[in-house]
Amino acid sequence: MNIKRFIAWALGVVAAVAVIGAHAQPKAIELEFPSWQIEEAGAGEYWTELIKAFEAAHPGVKIKKSQVPFREYVDKLTVRFAGNNPPDIVHLPTRNYLAFASQGWLAPLDEYLAQTDVKATYTKLSDEMVYNGKSYGVLMMGYGMMFYYNDKMLADAKMPVPKTSDELLKAIAAVTDVNAGRFGYGAPTNEHPNVFVEIGTWVTGEGASLFKGNQYNFTDPAVIRAIDKFRTAVKSAPKGQSSEQARQLFMDGKIAMIRDGPWVAAAVKKAPDATRPNLKMGMMPFASIPGGTSNSLHMPAKLDPEKKKLVWDFIRMTTTPEWQQKFTLLTSSPAPRKNALSAAEMQARPDLALVNKAAAEANNLFPESVAVRENYNEFAKIFVESGMKLMNSDRPTADIMKDLQAEMQKRIPLK
Amino acid sequence: MASRSAVPSPGRGSLARRERIFAYALLAPAVAAVFALIAYPMYLIFSMSFREGKSLNFLALHTRPFGLGNYEAVLTDSATWHSVWVSFAYTFGTILPAFLLGLGTAVVLNRSFPLRRWLRSLVLLPWAVPGVMVSIVFLWLFDASFGVTNYFLRSLGLISTDISWYTNESTALIAVIVPTLWKGYPFFTLTLLAAMQSIPGNLYEAAEVDGASAWQRFTNITWPGIRGQATLALVLNGLWVFREFDIIYAATGGGPSKTTETLGIRAYNEAFGYFYMGRAAVIGVLMLAIALVAVLLARKQLRKEFF
Repeated sequence: MNIKRFIAWALGVVAAVAVIGAHAQPKAIELEFPSWQIEEAGAGEYWTELIKAFEAAHPGVKIKKSQVPFREYVDKLTVRFAGNNPPDIVHLPTRNYLAFASQGWLAPLDEYLAQTDVKATYTKLSDEMVYNGKSYGVLMMGYGMMFYYNDKMLADAKMPVPKTSDELLKAIAAVTDVNAGRFGYGAPTNEHPNVFVEIGTWVTGEGASLFKGNQYNFTDPAVIRAIDKFRTAVKSAPKGQSSEQARQLFMDGKIAMIRDGPWVAAAVKKAPDATRPNLKMGMMPFASIPGGTSNSLHMPAKLDPEKKKLVWDFIRMTTTPEWQQKFTLLTSSPAPRKNALSAAEMQARPDLALVNKAAAEANNLFPESVAVRENYNEFAKIFVESGMKLMNSDRPTADIMKDLQAEMQKRIPLK
Repeated sequence: MASRSAVPSPGRGSLARRERIFAYALLAPAVAAVFALIAYPMYLIFSMSFREGKSLNFLALHTRPFGLGNYEAVLTDSATWHSVWVSFAYTFGTILPAFLLGLGTAVVLNRSFPLRRWLRSLVLLPWAVPGVMVSIVFLWLFDASFGVTNYFLRSLGLISTDISWYTNESTALIAVIVPTLWKGYPFFTLTLLAAMQSIPGNLYEAAEVDGASAWQRFTNITWPGIRGQATLALVLNGLWVFREFDIIYAATGGGPSKTTETLGIRAYNEAFGYFYMGRAAVIGVLMLAIALVAVLLARKQLRKEFF
């Protein structure tokens, strides 16, 4: 046999062995898990640790996590579900899950939950996972809004930490110097879903409500007064910013005060050295603490049985006492399991005590009407359009809210 | 003796038939591609436009009620005609300045000067940048608080307070037109430069000898030589800009308050924001109709130039 023929024969044998070997290896199962929290301080670490522990407990299973920006998150997931290509593990802002469930896209989890202690040990907020008598997800977090401030910027402007909304407006005006790149307040000021959360925070914080019974209440004088205060505050916020950008400017020492969820405390720990010592967290300077449910995990309705079991195992892992405790410690946010931390742990972390206090006192700022929740994405988009008019025009608040109520009643009628 | 032409030979008839079959067989892949990529999706859009109600479950769309409700809802909605106006303003606001800029740069690049080849490559670069990246760059340039545009305008004394380019209803459309123009003008430069280079140089020499001014040379030699390509470039670029999505969506999402909500953005919002697939399909049909009218209007000029 000549050398060329030998080499060709040997290469053929190697190729055949490689192909057979590849087929003989059991293929790793990959579960896809997109989220807006993958790169978030605190929550990102939690998911990384959880995924590592899950993969260690399930050899041959890999979780492919991917970051999707929050602004596009719900739209992107909607496109995926519509194209019959949902992710394996579905992470949703809780305010949006009903719209997905109403399309038949999510699997009911009652059978699985019956094997856990979730119903007995989770807070009442977890009841939001029930739609048409079935549970469609597991709550990851319910929270009260927190107030973040830069005590040095306030001190430089000779202002105390505000305790009421009027003191807050005074402090905002005193700190703001646009030409020096210094802003008293930070808020989402572009077309971002959190514009509704911002306005809802001011309305709920002032003791008013955007809903009365099962009706829109946008033109109530108390709502108008609260929104006028919001408009005054947001005049001193950088324009055209998303929530994430406003948060970053706060970390960089350009914004003196923002309202945000308790999860930002984890990001504050990673703020630049020059600003970190001055960044503090406190209770919202409002009469009533706004809050609500944040996010939840779900299973797509169409999933093959093998993946279904694995996805449930992943979700169930988050509900265990061990991972509920880690959730609170890593994200600085309240876990939905009651008493996730011991009294000693709470004493060692006064920031968590504050966060739990806010969560316990929180009044829900999100709509509770099923019709609105089934169409939350549409509701938020229409609301945000009017939010932009509130922020960028001089039209009277009452006129804008009257038009908004009429538009909302036309698009999402409430009986 | 019977005439040869009176009776056709059986062999010749079957040869013609075989040739016809062979010709159709060669055309078949192209026809299949047109059907799969153009005709079938268009059929789906039309079919979807008659399915009423809210649903994003494509597999169950055929179970939705069939009717003209979507057409009524969309065509009687003032927001639809507002989007039509925004689409026209965006399209003409982009392609006319882009054409003029492209023509100007083509005229300059048609001359001989040092580093001309490098400059040609540089001028074409914006065309290669993805739309989303263009949006990100211009979001930063036009940032209300920290952007360089406001900084320069304030430094020159042209403004006293920062302009919120992307969140102000009076400036948002301009703020999305500028990046589209920046990305789009190189196409005109490329097309018009290629057309200019096919014009014989001796025509210009003769005109110069006859004492023609630069403007006269342009109107009597350059423009007639590039008119056909210019018309085609305007039609093509106009259609591309009309259906533009990524630059606007990445920058404003159609806001603030729908001031940049073109028909394409509106269709996306109806489908994936509000779950009205049927209404989104009607907007698609409307866009198709507008594009068809534009092509028919340009057809006469294109036929004159090319056929």
